[in-house]
Amino acid sequence: MTQIIDILMKNFPSLMTALAETLKLTVVSLFFATIIGVIFGLLKVSGKKPLKILADIYIDIIRGTPLMVQTMIIYYGVGQMLRPMGFMWANYGGSFAAAAVTLSLNAGAYMAEIIRGGIESVDKGQMEAARSLGMSYGKSMQKIILPQAFRTMLPSIINQFIISLKDTSLVSVIGVSELTKRGNVMTANAAARSMAIWVTIALFYLVICTILSRVAKVMERRVSYGK
Amino acid sequence: MANKIVVKNLKKTFGSLEVLKDINMEVEEGEVVCLIGPSGSGKSTFLRCLNRLEDITAGVVLVDGHAMSDKKINLNKIRENIGMVFQHFNLFPHLTVLENITIAPVELKKMSKADARERAMELLDKVGLAEKADAYPAQLSGGQKQRVAIARALAMNPDIMLFDEPTSALDPEMVGEVLEVMKQLAADGMTMVVVTHEMGFAREVADRVVFMDGGYIVEEGTPEEVFGHPKEERTISFLNKVL
Repeated sequence: MTQIIDILMKNFPSLMTALAETLKLTVVSLFFATIIGVIFGLLKVSGKKPLKILADIYIDIIRGTPLMVQTMIIYYGVGQMLRPMGFMWANYGGSFAAAAVTLSLNAGAYMAEIIRGGIESVDKGQMEAARSLGMSYGKSMQKIILPQAFRTMLPSIINQFIISLKDTSLVSVIGVSELTKRGNVMTANAAARSMAIWVTIALFYLVICTILSRVAKVMERRVSYGK
Repeated sequence: MANKIVVKNLKKTFGSLEVLKDINMEVEEGEVVCLIGPSGSGKSTFLRCLNRLEDITAGVVLVDGHAMSDKKINLNKIRENIGMVFQHFNLFPHLTVLENITIAPVELKKMSKADARERAMELLDKVGLAEKADAYPAQLSGGQKQRVAIARALAMNPDIMLFDEPTSALDPEMVGEVLEVMKQLAADGMTMVVVTHEMGFAREVADRVVFMDGGYIVEEGTPEEVFGHPKEERTISFLNKVL
């Protein structure tokens, strides 16, 4: 314990910077993941075969490969492939950007499945009632189906947020200076205190994830209407 | 009087199942038509073809002269003119009673928020639920839900109202309040097509009763003709079971 406090005191600024990087990466990735998830979730329920197949291919590829490998492909693979066209990750935000792209695509696929499930959980009479009033498919989706689907999806979405937050740890392999990377650097300098350092790092993740799941509980309670 | 609805040689299949085989019917302006018949006879499917909640397989459905299966018509616009009430109410659970009623007129830009509110309160008054304006559907009884659903459909000022077994999911003591609202509507001159198992209602309110069985219209006529002097064997045996 004293060791952990000591580590915290000595490395406070750099740990905070790393924490900020982790949070920034999480927020940026989840923002785009949500957009991707909504788009592909809607494609899956669109009833249009080619669109559904497109969404299925994307989701299957993401779900069938490890995030670590996806990170390598995006950072090194895509980086190398686009080099002849003058593209370099270094010019576009470096490893942070590559990590954000990877995590967005990764979480986006899982979000798409969550959103599809949420939409399908809404009674189909809801769409019929909205359509029979003269509302278009899009308007019915936006005003009637998605708000209801969102309430069912909320726990799964928060769960995905927590998973994605922890997944940012993996992109330390391409050198993003987030928490886990910070832990690596710290142990390199003080190998003897490895246990205390990694427990400190773990505590950071634990605290944020706990806060997130508490927030989720409160939100769940707040969105149950008239029951 | 003008025909609001014309149906010619309507066929509807689900996969290999032929639900509607050859339906011909007309509904005049202001007419109240009750569709009766055993379950599985195709009454509900027929009703859902009228506003194209089901795509038809063959034939024509004309509403106000518009062919509903025509790809060029503005289906949403025509649907604004055809109110529908469902067996399971299908109220929007995330919206209050008032919002349920105002959402379509406001979203479809027919009315300002204030006007829609005022109109919604009038309608709630009409169905006797003005004090429930701020309640959520989950806080209402079945009969109250169905009356709100009727008000919601009326908010778009439709010319035609379709009712799909509006009292079948209700506890017996709540059937009366819903039928009362429907009677009032009929008396106000609304064109109505009602799928129902309430023979008393059909007898009292309908201008015409249509008996369906096996995907066909077997017999139709005034309530007096169909209930008093049914001609077809199948009508007689059905009425014997339900009356």
